[in-house]
Amino acid sequence: MTSAVKEALIAKLTALADDEVILAHRNSEWTGHGPILEEDIALANIVQDELGHATLWFGLRQQLDGSDPDRLAFFRDANEYRCCELVELPKGDWAFTMLRQYLFDLYEALWLEAARHSSYPPLADAVQKIIREERFHLQHTQAWVERLGQGTEESNRRLQQALDMQWGYAQQLFVPIPGEELLVAEGIVPDLARVKEGWLEHSTRHLQNAGLKLPINPGYQPTSRTYHTEHLWSILAEMQSTARWDAEAKVW
Amino acid sequence: MDTQWPRWEVFKQDTPHKPHQAVGSVHAADPEHALLTARNVFARRPQAVSMWVARAEDIYAWTKEEIAQSQLLQAEHDRAYSPPSSPRKYLVFRKTSHKRSMTFVDHVGEVEARTPEEALAQAQTTFTDAEALAWWVVPADKVYQTDPSPDTIESWFAPAKDKTYKQQQFYATVGSHISKHKLGRGVEDDECC
Repeated sequence: MTSAVKEALIAKLTALADDEVILAHRNSEWTGHGPILEEDIALANIVQDELGHATLWFGLRQQLDGSDPDRLAFFRDANEYRCCELVELPKGDWAFTMLRQYLFDLYEALWLEAARHSSYPPLADAVQKIIREERFHLQHTQAWVERLGQGTEESNRRLQQALDMQWGYAQQLFVPIPGEELLVAEGIVPDLARVKEGWLEHSTRHLQNAGLKLPINPGYQPTSRTYHTEHLWSILAEMQSTARWDAEAKVW
Repeated sequence: MDTQWPRWEVFKQDTPHKPHQAVGSVHAADPEHALLTARNVFARRPQAVSMWVARAEDIYAWTKEEIAQSQLLQAEHDRAYSPPSSPRKYLVFRKTSHKRSMTFVDHVGEVEARTPEEALAQAQTTFTDAEALAWWVVPADKVYQTDPSPDTIESWFAPAKDKTYKQQQFYATVGSHISKHKLGRGVEDDECC
């Protein structure tokens, strides 16, 4: 592996992990506040799974540069994070949270499907572990999109509002990071343009079947993972405060 | 207006050759939703290969004591009631022990009957290998099951095998005994555990 490819792979793994960490932490805000106990538990399960995926991605990065996953998660500042802006947005109502998780799960499931035969064996191995859980997540969140979309006038309206807000943000999932073309050329990660084709086809069909209208004007579409919304600072302040309070702590 | 979703009883099968066992209940809007929440609540960690759900109101249940008390009454009821002519399939579940805390009734088989009461009577004469402390019968078409395809088993149930319960002691810094911390905060891990 050339140093340019290695550097790009480290950056890609960081972006993959950061999306999972921030989305997981965002959704963990529902713990104890879910609409019913069963869904509270279900979303907490998804959160734990996504954190597990982040651990796998950070683990792959560690093999390449020796970085400590906990240091990366808890001691990096917001401007060093490489998550997309979609996952940073406040959790909103249940429709907002379920729609975001659906759009992300669909992207992740399709990306993983395409990454199964990665030429980098450690990545292919990680994909095998993650893809099983992601398929189940997707079934759960697409069921919610269908039910909220076809439920009541109010649930449809709330879901439509969430879609109008998120559709542009979601497109950032398919913007390659600098150097990603090197990884695609080596067969290490899939081409995001191809993944996006499948995502658009599936999501358009499912959202329309659920009675939603795709926004004619997609709105703001972030393009660089070096820029963030103001929400990232506050979520990191909360997430990292305990670890940073006493970085040398051995016992709690 | 009642805004509560209906209650569904959940039956979990641990391995292909074990019976489905009642493990508890979930609230859900519809059968698919019930299966999704049931998987999250009851099969995130323990072993499973299949789950069934049935609405609580579709389940006919009797304890041994209820059966003993109602036999005369039931005979009256049967005479007054003319059952629908065509029989349907019922799934039969039975409880045989008070010792188990995590499950209630086990699936023991199916019977064809015209009414739930008739299904119970048939169950009592068919499944005689152990004393029944309680019976449940459920019309077969009211029981919804997880998709039996390998893909579903792989995504719904297989990940649980890699997720073991961790006792508190696993997280040594959180759960270790107080005496280990007498030297105060900042003790090195290898000294304290």
